[in-house]
Amino acid sequence: MSDQPIIELKNIDVIFKEPEREVRAVDDVQLSINKGDIFGIVGYSGAGKSTLVRVINLLQRPTNQAAVVKVNGADLLKLNAKELRTKRRKIGMIFQHFNLMNALTIADNVDFALKKSGLSKVERQQRVAELLELVGLADKSHDYPSQLSGGQKQRVGIARALANRPDILISDEATSALDPKTTASILGLLADLNRKLGLTIVLITHEMDAVKQICNRVAVMDAGKVIEEGDLLQVFSQPRAELTKDFIDTTTHIQSSLAVVEQQAIVQNLQPGEVLVQLGYVGAATDQPLITTLYKQFNVSANILFGNLEILQDTPVGQLLVVLSGTPKETQQALRFMQENDVQVTVLKSGDKGGN
Amino acid sequence: MLNFLNQVMPNVVENWSGDTGMVTGIWQTLYMTFWTTLIGGLIGLALGVALVIYDEQGIMANKAVYSILDKFVNVFRSIPFIILLSVVFPITQFIVGTTIGPKGALVPLIIGTAPFYARQVQNTLVQIDPGVIESAEALGYGPWTIITKVYLREGLPDLIRTSVLTIISIIGLTAMAGAVGAGGLGYIAVSKGYQRYQNDITIVATLLILVIVFIIQGLGDLWAKKIDHR
Ligand SMILES: Nc1ncnc2c1ncn2[C@@H]1O[C@H](COP(=O)(O)OP(=O)(O)OP(=O)(O)O)[C@@H](O)[C@H]1O
Ligand SMILES: [Mg+2]
Repeated sequence: MSDQPIIELKNIDVIFKEPEREVRAVDDVQLSINKGDIFGIVGYSGAGKSTLVRVINLLQRPTNQAAVVKVNGADLLKLNAKELRTKRRKIGMIFQHFNLMNALTIADNVDFALKKSGLSKVERQQRVAELLELVGLADKSHDYPSQLSGGQKQRVGIARALANRPDILISDEATSALDPKTTASILGLLADLNRKLGLTIVLITHEMDAVKQICNRVAVMDAGKVIEEGDLLQVFSQPRAELTKDFIDTTTHIQSSLAVVEQQAIVQNLQPGEVLVQLGYVGAATDQPLITTLYKQFNVSANILFGNLEILQDTPVGQLLVVLSGTPKETQQALRFMQENDVQVTVLKSGDKGGN
Repeated sequence: MLNFLNQVMPNVVENWSGDTGMVTGIWQTLYMTFWTTLIGGLIGLALGVALVIYDEQGIMANKAVYSILDKFVNVFRSIPFIILLSVVFPITQFIVGTTIGPKGALVPLIIGTAPFYARQVQNTLVQIDPGVIESAEALGYGPWTIITKVYLREGLPDLIRTSVLTIISIIGLTAMAGAVGAGGLGYIAVSKGYQRYQNDITIVATLLILVIVFIIQGLGDLWAKKIDHR
């Protein structure tokens, strides 16, 4: 999480020319990922996530001249085939469908990554044992992939990707084929590797939950463009793009709960001085006894209809759907007070303006 | 014992050894099958691999090269073997110095086999998960390593199975070549058995061909099964 970029993508276009049409899979993307980041990239299917990350190790070449792909200071587009292959060994990659070789044992699958490592046979065996130990599969080394569960296969994929001690690990939907519990354990392993080895991780996913669990930065992609990018907390607490809000809602359920909340009698029959508000707060603001303060200071009572509290990067982030009631004047004062105290206030419905 | 054999298959016993005997026939069939498998197999394998890597989705995608190879294979695969036998006479004469006997049959056999096998190899290798190929590319491997360590290794069980099919069809071709003068069990079954009304020879020669086929099929299946871990 230093400020030193390890991956710099500039002006990236990838256009696929089909007989009938052109697909702009990646459209003028600028992205800078710092050393030690766990950088999440979210977006719906077809947004261009895979195509974009495949540009990082040039499995996919940008189709425009102006593109720049810098990894660890090296301008990859200026390298010849052999130099590029050497660089690729320092960029590990794991995949949704694991992509292990069925014909090889677990140990041989990991060993496969070491063919050009220059290590002796004995050193390679040691390294493989070490890696399988790291991912918790030491006892499976002689099994074949078909004998493993999905989570175990992904661990083999991780061991293989780490074999050449890469600085960067790209994870393309690596947990999308796994159940929630296994997903959590794989994400835990990635977070561990980030901490222990200082590994920079690029995590592509369509599950906001995964991003929430381990990322410190996040980019949202839509139709080939990065439409929002920033610090996890900032994007999470103050999303700008509609799509980002949709994604966040998949884990907080605030928007989807709104429909239910609006059906409730108390919301249907808001009186003057009553408002339905969405309150969002991050970190310190959460610690204040907000609801109590509203009552004591402004004589405004708060009826919490829905709440979601998360701990993101050790910081509490809360979202509440609340009906505030007091006299119209008191309610207005209470709203102003909250805004002044860094609580994000969105009035969703008010009983004042002739609300039904 | 010999008495009994003499009674049920007198012509087989009489024609067992000698220049045009059964034993020679077995060897000639094995000789033609072996060399055709080896040389035709290698050419076919190379062509098949080339078809896969130069394919639009391949690791060395190249439309021009692919389309030349593709047409080449199609043309040679379309020529009926019996016609190939006579058409390639001059080439055969040039390469092996004779157009008769098992050796003379090798050139048409190889030309008849290689394109057929190339397609089999292509069809087998394109089924390998592109993701596995991609992961090898991500590990920094070039075409040679990917061909030898991924395509041929992952594809091995199915390659063995298609190779068995190809060898069996080669045995079929040797019989056809035999009928027009290449020797071998096919020649014996037709010229000495069928055409001279010596049915016991026809039957025994056929059975011998079947035995060879079953042995190859059995060994191939066993091997493929042993190394298949899907
Ligand atoms: N090799 C290709 N040829 C043509 N079009 C392609 C190719 N690869 C991807 N595309 C197109 O580019 C767009 C982006 O695809 P991409 O795989 O990058 O999306 P994604 O965000 O990874 O989606 P998913 O979540 O489904 O994996 C899609 O419209 C896809 O159809
Ligand atoms: Mg994808």
